[in-house]
Amino acid sequence: MQLLWLRVALALYSLGLLHSILTVVGRKQRVFRVALGATALGAVFHLVALVEGGLATQHFPVTTLQEATSLAAFLLAGSFLLVYWRYRFHSISVFVFPLMFVLTFASALDQGETYAGLPLLRTAWLYVHVSLIILGYTALFLTFVAGVMYLIQERELKSKKPRAFYHRLPPLEAIDDLAYKSLSIGFPFITLGIISGGLWASSVWGSAWPLDPKIALSFITWLIYLSLVFARWSVGWRGRKAAYFAIAGFVAMLVTWGTNTGLHSFVSP
Amino acid sequence: MNFCLVGLSHKTAPVEVREQLAFPEDDLPTALHAALALPEVSEAVILSTCNRVEILARAETDDGNIGPALGRFLAEFRHRDFAEIERYLYEYRQRDALRHIFRVASSLDSMVIGESQILGQVKSAYAIARACGALGGTLEEVLTRSFAVAKQIRTETGIASSAVSVSYAAVELAKKIFGSLEGKRILLIGAGKMSELAAKHLLNSGAAGIFVANRTPERAEELAATLQGRAVPFDQILQYAAQCDILISSTGAPGFIVSKADAQQVLTERRNRPIFLIDIAVPRNIDPESNKLDNLFLYDIDDLQQVVNANLKERLREAHRGEQIAEQEVERLLSRLKTLDVVPTIIDLRTRLEEIRVQELARMSSQLGDLTPAQREAVEAITRGMVNKILHPPVSHLKTLAQQPDGLKLVETVRRIFNLKP
Repeated sequence: MQLLWLRVALALYSLGLLHSILTVVGRKQRVFRVALGATALGAVFHLVALVEGGLATQHFPVTTLQEATSLAAFLLAGSFLLVYWRYRFHSISVFVFPLMFVLTFASALDQGETYAGLPLLRTAWLYVHVSLIILGYTALFLTFVAGVMYLIQERELKSKKPRAFYHRLPPLEAIDDLAYKSLSIGFPFITLGIISGGLWASSVWGSAWPLDPKIALSFITWLIYLSLVFARWSVGWRGRKAAYFAIAGFVAMLVTWGTNTGLHSFVSP
Repeated sequence: MNFCLVGLSHKTAPVEVREQLAFPEDDLPTALHAALALPEVSEAVILSTCNRVEILARAETDDGNIGPALGRFLAEFRHRDFAEIERYLYEYRQRDALRHIFRVASSLDSMVIGESQILGQVKSAYAIARACGALGGTLEEVLTRSFAVAKQIRTETGIASSAVSVSYAAVELAKKIFGSLEGKRILLIGAGKMSELAAKHLLNSGAAGIFVANRTPERAEELAATLQGRAVPFDQILQYAAQCDILISSTGAPGFIVSKADAQQVLTERRNRPIFLIDIAVPRNIDPESNKLDNLFLYDIDDLQQVVNANLKERLREAHRGEQIAEQEVERLLSRLKTLDVVPTIIDLRTRLEEIRVQELARMSSQLGDLTPAQREAVEAITRGMVNKILHPPVSHLKTLAQQPDGLKLVETVRRIFNLKP
């Protein structure tokens, strides 16, 4: 049943994907209300799928890549709805809907194997670490999206030749506000996520854990975001420079996510 | 049912001619009654604004003379020579007249497409015509429909959505940069109509306060009082600039009063919070190189005009869609008016009752078979008499009441309750 709910959610999210495609290709926002409603409804089904899955396997659904992907997609949907409720940004949906769809699609493909049987993973550290990281990634994805939108809108305003995007993107300050707020949520989460991961890793793998490629890369990612937070706080870095760093941080995040060699890999050890 | 619209507008006549034909509001009732006195004219409405004078009339029959008659009426009522103004007048009939009034009401025919005043002006012309009894059911329907179409066009197309004056463009840009203008402060350097107007618009849109600086302190005080702000010394403008989010500059200074270095300093003092500089002066007050700085947005008078031009182009594009909507609505209105015409309705009503009469007689023919011809004739006469008596009040009411403003609703009601096909 859980897979069914997930697929229903996927079907609803596909309306969001449709909206994004139509909006980019056409000049006006189309079917946004429909896509918004479908996403909200889809998120409900998605939640049901997650809860059912968790109850069926008797653990918080983050033990496999498939489960984590599904959770990430759900958090993305949830945070989008939150951002829309707070800011009423229509345009951010163009970035968010496709990713939501892709993630949900990936997780709805098949069940995948559950690794809860492995002694390595049968600890609370797993849930804590993975959940924190996923929450952090979701928030920092929004920081990335805000960074991209900021760069586009700023270029429009500087060039003094407003084109199509100018009218549809939100005000500059509002975009920067979203970037700032999502950073201030995302950074603590990944910090805690890395700490919890570190504590867990040192207890399992001994002292060589910081040299594992994925873990080392996650440190680098974390440092990028740290410098962003510090620069914002101390010298009031904002706008364009902050956007560049947010993009760099997101790229580092993707690289970290994609690195699967060494101790900390997602495939069976 | 025949429509005829005659008049002149900014598109066909210069202001010297338009002002000769303009109707003062107080004269409108008299004028309308005089128009109704013209042969064949049964309903009329006159629209007189600074950009157009038009009369829309409904006539029972149209022999082609209504147009010139209306034109002559306009000239004579305003004591002008018809021959002189004749070449400025345009004439629209039937569908074209309806389309024209729709376009006018939606501001598609205005000097600045998308302007919002014209709809109010058309509404007031309608109210005056209605009050003095010059409107009948048909024009009532036409005009009320034109208001709905105007609203539809304004909401469904972008003809009214973006700024087409320099000062509004400045406000629009400020909102694009800052989002809400609440809590934002303005520094106005120098003086001038456009900068004052921009400052007023910004304050109206929610800006928190304004500082005014001028080489002449008294002038600064004056302006500050008008705008409910504070005057500040001219030599301290950079310090005050750091506290403000929007800077409007229009002094007559021959060179730059704000250099790129000055701008950088202001930014640093503001800890890089964004600042919007509007330089309306010619020669410019602010070094254009400043625009290269991060978090600073500098627009001079040409840039603002460019924004306005781009918006105007956008409005023209949107106007095409507006025209399409107007065309569709004209079709809908015409078919609706056709069904609500009184004469066809009376015919349909008679036909329906006659059908019923004949059917009932046919059904009973078997039982009436053994009547004498005289008796059968009597039965026919009874049924016909009944039908006529039943029809008499509705038909005479339709003929008279349908001429009144709410008349078409009466026609519609009759059609509905007697189930006459639409």
